[in-house]
Amino acid sequence: MFAPPIDRLITEFARLPGIGQRTAQRLAFYVLRLSPEQALPLAEAIREVKESVGLCEICFNLAVGPRCRICEDERRDADVICVVEEPSDVIPIERTHEWRGRYHVLGGALSPIDGIDPEDLHLEELARRVESGAVREVVVATNSTTTGEATALHIADLLRERAPQAAVTRLASGLPVGADLEYADEITLGKAFQGRRAL
Amino acid sequence: MARPVTVRRVQLRDFRNYERARLDLAAGVTVISGPNGAGKTNLLEAIYFGLTGRSCRTSNEREMVRHGGSVTRVALETEDEAGAHLLEAGFEPGETKRLRVDGALVEGLANSTARPLVSVFMPERLELVRGAPSARRAHLDQLVTALWPGRAPTRASYARALAQRNALLARVRAGIVAAELLDPWDAELARHGAQLMSDREQAVAAIAESFAARARELGLPQSAEVTYRRRSRATDGEGLRAELEARRATDLARGFSGHGPHRDDLALSHDGRPLRAFGSQGQQRVALLALLLAERDALAEIDRSPLMLLDDVMSELDSERRERLGALLGEGGQVVVTATDAERVPVSSLGALATELLA
Ligand SMILES: [Zn+2]
Repeated sequence: MFAPPIDRLITEFARLPGIGQRTAQRLAFYVLRLSPEQALPLAEAIREVKESVGLCEICFNLAVGPRCRICEDERRDADVICVVEEPSDVIPIERTHEWRGRYHVLGGALSPIDGIDPEDLHLEELARRVESGAVREVVVATNSTTTGEATALHIADLLRERAPQAAVTRLASGLPVGADLEYADEITLGKAFQGRRAL
Repeated sequence: MARPVTVRRVQLRDFRNYERARLDLAAGVTVISGPNGAGKTNLLEAIYFGLTGRSCRTSNEREMVRHGGSVTRVALETEDEAGAHLLEAGFEPGETKRLRVDGALVEGLANSTARPLVSVFMPERLELVRGAPSARRAHLDQLVTALWPGRAPTRASYARALAQRNALLARVRAGIVAAELLDPWDAELARHGAQLMSDREQAVAAIAESFAARARELGLPQSAEVTYRRRSRATDGEGLRAELEARRATDLARGFSGHGPHRDDLALSHDGRPLRAFGSQGQQRVALLALLLAERDALAEIDRSPLMLLDDVMSELDSERRERLGALLGEGGQVVVTATDAERVPVSSLGALATELLA
């Protein structure tokens, strides 16, 4: 409908979560009105984040450089690991200050409908981490959705076989049913950490 | 004691045969009388549409728009303890529906507290008695939700886990993944399945006695029974999980999950035989009415009596049963009933308001 570069910008905005066609158009026209000094830092910031931020080679959390800040922090207990679905799930847990251990980010949850099998998640890396090191507890903090629950059960089976010395626990059911970790408040989440149960 | 929400007034525009119509409802029984073809059923459908945003008669909702009109609108004035509310439903074919509660746009009316629950008797609904089990399962699950709104997510979680397990069965069959991957999904399906079965057991227990009594009062000669017919014998999630595991080979061979509460039924029987197969049309009508009345009895206990919309319920009953039904309807809750002849609806002595149709 517009000149090709404008159309391309609209298409890119419309790819973002929660942005419909109409909002994408509004954002594109906003950008068009900006001066180059105002608009280019946005492009630069996107380029920089993509070039400098990757996944931690140990836990697959977001990291600038090969390892994330938590894996590099010697004060964090290395013998307890909290397993979450996405990097964004780390933030609310950190906010509770209840967790002094490390993390492992799966990169999603098992979902046969979407064709997401164990190989598509960082499960093998988790098993290797737990069987090789002196890990005594793995807290599974996947979401309390059907996919999150099934993933938790799968992890329990996997670790029982590969690393029987480690206890596998699940967050206490203080979280509302079907809830995403991302939307849980700090108090609920903190309590869920204190009262975890064996899986 | 909380008082259920009541509907005070209904206004329609370009709905079916009506260009404009207004109907005031009594707090108890309202009788809509008029000759055949006058549009009595259309008024019931309009009330249902105003309460739910859907038709209770057709999946082709264009039919609701009056011939020559372009947009159909229904407005309902309701009342609860806090005061008056206005529900508005607008539908224009090809456009998204416009549903409003007290002026604010909403996505659906199902969770609105400004509307009563609604229970419908229409000839089309006999399918519930004589049709496939899926409709009765869905009906039973709606009763569960009406009785315990907090349990609504269980059915949805079960359906999601079932879809995932079926997708995984297909992937195992295709040789993409190993069969052991079914373990966590069996457990997850069983967890929700056991909860769903227990919810349904409790809901059926809440209506069983009343169903038998209402069926007898309304003229079924032998004893009638409503039961929850389930495939699984398991009493908890672990039991159901073990059953699923034992059936895994069969499920893999067929490519779908053949066991669990998604195959259960709400069985209605008369004299020990299923009404679905052996009931006459008259017996099936009485059974459906008895079921809806039993549900009203159970919901009345928690002050959630539904608004009952009853289309032509009197026509096939003898005068004694009509008297009995009239008395039952007058016992409580809000009812709108249609009849070709108002004289044949014995509720006038109960102070009901008879409304003559003015098309
Ligand atoms: Zn890390």
